[in-house]
Amino acid sequence: MRLVTAPASTGQVAAVNLWYGVGSRHEVPGRTGFAHLFEHLMFQGSGNVTKGEHFEEVERLGGDINASTSTDRTNYYETVPAHALDRVLWLEADRLATLRDGMTQEVLDNQRDVVKNERRQRYDNQPYGTALERILRLAFPEGHPYHHPTIGSMADLDAADLDYVKSFHKAHYGPDNCVITVVSELDPEDVRARVEKYFGAVPAREEIPQAPDPVLRAPLGGPLRDEVVEGVPAAGVFLCYRVPAYGERGFDVAHLLSAVLGQGQGSRLYRSLVVDRPIAADDGGAAADVLPFRYTDSLLLVNMLARENVDGDTLEAEILAEVAKAAQGVTEEELDRARAVLERDHLQSISGPAGLADSISSCTQLFDDPELALTWPTRWQDITAEEVRAAAERLLVDENLLVVRFDPEPAADAADA
Amino acid sequence: MSQNRPDLGTPASYTFPRPERTTVGGGTVVAVHVPGQYLVSVRLVHPYGGAVEPLDAMGVGALTSEVLEDGPDGNSSLAPALERHGAEWVSRINWDGFITGVDVPVGRLGEAVRLFADAVRRPALDHDDIVRRRDQLLERFWLEAATSSTLAMRSLGAQLFTGRYATPLAGGPVRLADIAPETVASYHADTLASTAGTLVVVGDLSGVDPVELGKTVFGDTVPAPARVIDTPAPPPGELPRVLIVDRPGSVQSALVIAHRAPSRSQVDLPRAEGVGEVLGGMFTSRLNMELRERLGYTYGAGARFDLRRDSGVFFMSAQVEADTTAHSITSSLEQVARLREGGVTAEELSAVRDSNTVGLPVAYSTARSMAGALVDMVVHDLPDDHVDTVRAGYERLTKEDLDSAAVEYLHPEEAVVVVVGDAGRLLSPLTDTGVGPVEVRTPDELWA
Repeated sequence: MRLVTAPASTGQVAAVNLWYGVGSRHEVPGRTGFAHLFEHLMFQGSGNVTKGEHFEEVERLGGDINASTSTDRTNYYETVPAHALDRVLWLEADRLATLRDGMTQEVLDNQRDVVKNERRQRYDNQPYGTALERILRLAFPEGHPYHHPTIGSMADLDAADLDYVKSFHKAHYGPDNCVITVVSELDPEDVRARVEKYFGAVPAREEIPQAPDPVLRAPLGGPLRDEVVEGVPAAGVFLCYRVPAYGERGFDVAHLLSAVLGQGQGSRLYRSLVVDRPIAADDGGAAADVLPFRYTDSLLLVNMLARENVDGDTLEAEILAEVAKAAQGVTEEELDRARAVLERDHLQSISGPAGLADSISSCTQLFDDPELALTWPTRWQDITAEEVRAAAERLLVDENLLVVRFDPEPAADAADA
Repeated sequence: MSQNRPDLGTPASYTFPRPERTTVGGGTVVAVHVPGQYLVSVRLVHPYGGAVEPLDAMGVGALTSEVLEDGPDGNSSLAPALERHGAEWVSRINWDGFITGVDVPVGRLGEAVRLFADAVRRPALDHDDIVRRRDQLLERFWLEAATSSTLAMRSLGAQLFTGRYATPLAGGPVRLADIAPETVASYHADTLASTAGTLVVVGDLSGVDPVELGKTVFGDTVPAPARVIDTPAPPPGELPRVLIVDRPGSVQSALVIAHRAPSRSQVDLPRAEGVGEVLGGMFTSRLNMELRERLGYTYGAGARFDLRRDSGVFFMSAQVEADTTAHSITSSLEQVARLREGGVTAEELSAVRDSNTVGLPVAYSTARSMAGALVDMVVHDLPDDHVDTVRAGYERLTKEDLDSAAVEYLHPEEAVVVVVGDAGRLLSPLTDTGVGPVEVRTPDELWA
């Protein structure tokens, strides 16, 4: 187990944040959605904690508590008044050490229903809700561990059984696969002693499972397309390009490129398609971003919705034209603005104890370097405008493009009007 | 691994930092120094919420809030200028306040506040910018309302109120279209341009002079006039009743059960919000434990009060699997009835009491959350020790306080149930619940 202590001026608060190195990339065909379903089960009781008690303990302290699952990791966190630190460490240690003792068919069935409703709420009953699922399906080939979304499929969720839950815990939940960060005003040695007390005797995993192979053996082979006609309020264009893995310099270049294109109201897509030729809906300047994947290619995403009386084909063509211009050059001024926007967002994300703890866990779990949480913005400092331009020329091309298009259903025949 | 749960230590005593108030010209700077917090939150609070908008210009505040982003030079120039300083623009309107501001690294505070003041006091208000923003806002209304839970919440106002609250805050898809650029200009001249407001500043303010900030932001503005409080009447109609907003093919229903409540100043806050938390304010609250953790009908269910200066709303909400809609409604109402009849448990009392006392350091652990509390205090004319006063109220809270609050503040017999979902599938089971008369409308009819 890797412990990072970060003494900070937190005002009587202790932020505890755990990153386990398991995510949906570890799922095998027929078991999609399992890492996330498992995250839910971690709140359903363990050897010495009853169902719901973990939440209750933290909530009654006025604490913040939750968890999330991505392709690359599963994150659990609690932010509590500092006097409750031991209790929180004990709760986390108990579910790490003894979850299998508390697991029952009843809680599995209940949380399976909850997760299916989460899927309905976020994907199926939400306009454009299946966009990410469709993007991943095209971006990574069948059988690739990033081919499916973290939420999984309804059929696979139905197939989850109790034995598999227990084997998943055994395979992935060991202290050797965990980073724990504690941000507080306490002395680091004191924090270390407490973590040692509760986690010290929890054994490492006996076997370390092999993660499915994330290597991409062929370029995307674009342009690829998925066209959807359904009850959306406006045409929606989602463009996606493969870019280098999270942690590589090429990723940082792509990140800056995404900010030049579509982050903030000074970005190109906002200026061009929301302000100057207003054909895209005003998203406040959030048309482009990167989806960071540590163990395979990351994705650069561009998304805009059409204004009334603007059809999807027109919007798509105009976005592509604007994106293509990046290969002709990016100005120093644009790059400065892009750096300032990314730096601002980074500072905002680490400005409170919980966000700082999360960023430290991330940098430690993925890069084994907690300091990166503080120094990340320096990675953008020496990236040149020419590097960004060259990345656009190399990456933002049809061969590396996939498009997911949503179009509204045609208006009903006006005969009965 | 020890089987013994460690005892909680002794909580440190917490006092909400007492803000430093400085009167500058017609306005007041309310500053809180948080050592080590180098991202400063700046908020300018004006008492011009949606509730005081003229009925013939509903949505003018929301539109003005958008138009400010075009900046003193127009043509959407403000945000890029702030972006270059690493600052983030904030502008929003709620029913009781118009709040503008920036979040900015302390080293760039002075420059960012100069830009901010210009943006709020002297925007270009260019005709074409306003028309563009208005049309975008109108279209965004339906883009956002395509999310069922948003549509359900927007449908609620007209079920509970007449007057301004019957129309959504942004003016809705019809009334907003009537607002001319000249109306925005005169609204701005009468409000943000000429009246000072209150400036909230939170962060590491070593070396920051509140008087200088105040001079920059307030200039020669004058104090805003006091607002007249007038509680809006309810619309006619039998209660309880059910409104289905038809969205064919929905695999889930977005459900809101709501009734009117007293205004913020009329309620005893720890009692009212405490009983709201027992029912639906936390993960472990009764509604979530029943609808999610026992029945598996939803990803989450909750309840809370929305307390305004002149009135209030209590509501429960969830998005539930379509076929469970009727049972979700009756189960929710049953939870209210049980709470009213049986009162709270000792565990629930202590959870409410503890989370709102020992948990305060967590609630105010970022500059943004602390600024949010100060904005709330300004909007509702609350004293500087408000947070501590409310905490003391929670510390004194008894079972009898919460039991009586359940009876006093929760009124299922006056509820309106709004369901956004597939009417063809829902009409019969919802009618069979016997909750009340069921009406079906399409989204387009709601604000015709």
